[in-house]
Amino acid sequence: MRFGIVSFAHMHAYSYAECLKALEGAELAAVADEDEGRGRAAAQRFGAAYFRDYQDLLRLDLDGVIICSENARHAEMVVAAAEAGKHVLCEKPIATSVPDAQRMIDACREKGVHLQIAFPCRFNPPVRRVKEAVARGALGRILAIRGTNRGQNPGGWFANRELSGGGAVLDHTVHVVDLMRWYLGAEVKEVYAEVDTRFGARDIDDCGLLMLEFDNGVFASHDPSWSRCRSFPTWGDVTVEVIGTDGVMRADAFAQHLTLYSDETGRVSHEAWADSMDMLLIADFVDMVQSGRPPSITGEDGLRAMEVALAAYESARTHRPVRLRA
Amino acid sequence: MVKVGLVGAGTMGAVHAEAYTRMSGVQLVGITDVRADAAAQLAAACGTRAWPNLDQLLEEADPDVVDVCVPTYLHRSLVERIAGAGKHIICEKPIARTLEDARAMMRAADAAGVRLFIAHVLRFFPEYRRARDLIAAGKVGQPGTVRTMRGGVFPRGWDDWYASVDKCGTLIVDMIIHDFDFLRWCFGEVERVFARSCLGRELNRIDHALVSLRFRNGVIGHVEGTWAYPEGFRTELEVAGTAGILHHDSTEATPVHAWYRQGATDGGGVSVPESPLAKGPYQVELEHFIDCIVNGTAPVVTAEDAYRALEISLAALQSATTGQPVSLPMDGGDHA
Repeated sequence: MRFGIVSFAHMHAYSYAECLKALEGAELAAVADEDEGRGRAAAQRFGAAYFRDYQDLLRLDLDGVIICSENARHAEMVVAAAEAGKHVLCEKPIATSVPDAQRMIDACREKGVHLQIAFPCRFNPPVRRVKEAVARGALGRILAIRGTNRGQNPGGWFANRELSGGGAVLDHTVHVVDLMRWYLGAEVKEVYAEVDTRFGARDIDDCGLLMLEFDNGVFASHDPSWSRCRSFPTWGDVTVEVIGTDGVMRADAFAQHLTLYSDETGRVSHEAWADSMDMLLIADFVDMVQSGRPPSITGEDGLRAMEVALAAYESARTHRPVRLRA
Repeated sequence: MVKVGLVGAGTMGAVHAEAYTRMSGVQLVGITDVRADAAAQLAAACGTRAWPNLDQLLEEADPDVVDVCVPTYLHRSLVERIAGAGKHIICEKPIARTLEDARAMMRAADAAGVRLFIAHVLRFFPEYRRARDLIAAGKVGQPGTVRTMRGGVFPRGWDDWYASVDKCGTLIVDMIIHDFDFLRWCFGEVERVFARSCLGRELNRIDHALVSLRFRNGVIGHVEGTWAYPEGFRTELEVAGTAGILHHDSTEATPVHAWYRQGATDGGGVSVPESPLAKGPYQVELEHFIDCIVNGTAPVVTAEDAYRALEISLAALQSATTGQPVSLPMDGGDHA
């Protein structure tokens, strides 16, 4: 199976490339990046052909492509990949607007290619344990969920609204809202949110709090803030706690770590020993391409998670709950 | 396809059997146990068949490898029979109850030209592997002291053999041998051992041991083992060096916690902590041993490593008994 990566703007591209290199039966054949220095360096590092124009990459005989461009450019690239008949794994969030996301989904459906959104947290074994417990009814009827996906401001284009479509609230809402939807098999009905810039970002939100109501009567909260200080021992967290009538269950996706106190760096850091969820995600994508089965995480999943984040911005502007569906 | 036979359908036998069913290229061809019902039950759960005894398992199921998951004091006699039949052997830790038995097992395997692997699974736990990598990479500078902790509730086994010092050797031989092997993997040979434990004081299904280790490279180690808790199981590791400290506590690193309600809304409940992995360390370990057999390569942990770990355990047991430090090697050999 031959794959291409379109753009290394998002740093996850490097991790996905490593995973492709490590997976038997998968090959990273080509990379495309309009930033020539970045693209050529990545091509050399991973032993792949380099193309400045992603359209040239899409003309190759590839089985699938991974899109890791800036959020606002996902739509044009995914649509182009669909027209070139390539299966797609698209970095999250799917896009920066509902019409863009819908255009991507429609193009892939029309051209008969699969579109998967990169929500690696679904493959985290602790997160999956909670999914299994909810699915077999071990927690009874679900009443509420609370989540966090806190981190640090990545800077660069992430803090440029035109390219990112939003700050912390868009960047860090979609992972956990996707988990909540996956656990519940339900859609977010209403969103209330506080959004602000309180951690030094420029002209973009870096913190917030979402209060959610699902269409099955479950309520939830989520903290997507870029609120971790520089001395925090790791980049951030993903936690989710499910409250049910028969029990409560909590997953901390990054708890499996050692703690290192270093005089050399003057820091305390977490040294992970958990499974790589990027590896499990890429293995799942390669398996999908190989077997022709439908994607485990669809474009619609990406759209539903993104629209919650966009509704949070609207709610924060109006100070009113935003209704997404009846 | 590598054919594996299993002796022992107890706790570890069940863990190993389940791991084999998840592996590709491996076929579990049968299970035997002195308790026929236990063998039958586990065989049914794993989609294989139970055999009435080891001889029939060896002859009729014709395995390439036999996995020995029986109480420690029975290892030698079984391993010698399996080696005599020309089959490779995977044997639970500790390798044996005595150094004499351990050496006899290694000689039997060598004489028969078969491989003998001792299942020191801690080397396949990702947290311990990562710790060793970080230490080796110099992340704590030069290691000065190390502390480990392991234990929980007193185990229940067939014939209550864990409660027999002669058969099991207390938790010093049965359990903290994991830490002895891991520390020896990280820091090399041990020079001197001193230990205190409940042995000879109080052993009414409660045991606790504190062990001092001095390594040849100067590292001072403290190994704590316990079967004194009313429930649960946990581990700790701390390595302090000239430039840093590395810390692990299984309680802190547990990613999944569940609290289940039992009965009515105000009834009592149970708490279940869990640390799931895509592939468990027992499966990683057994796949590694099978791979070593198929490709003729050296294992991450050798029978000689297992022998040396047992030697540390026996030195600690002796020290706990006599109240005196014990210098290694005990067998008069040379570790160099």
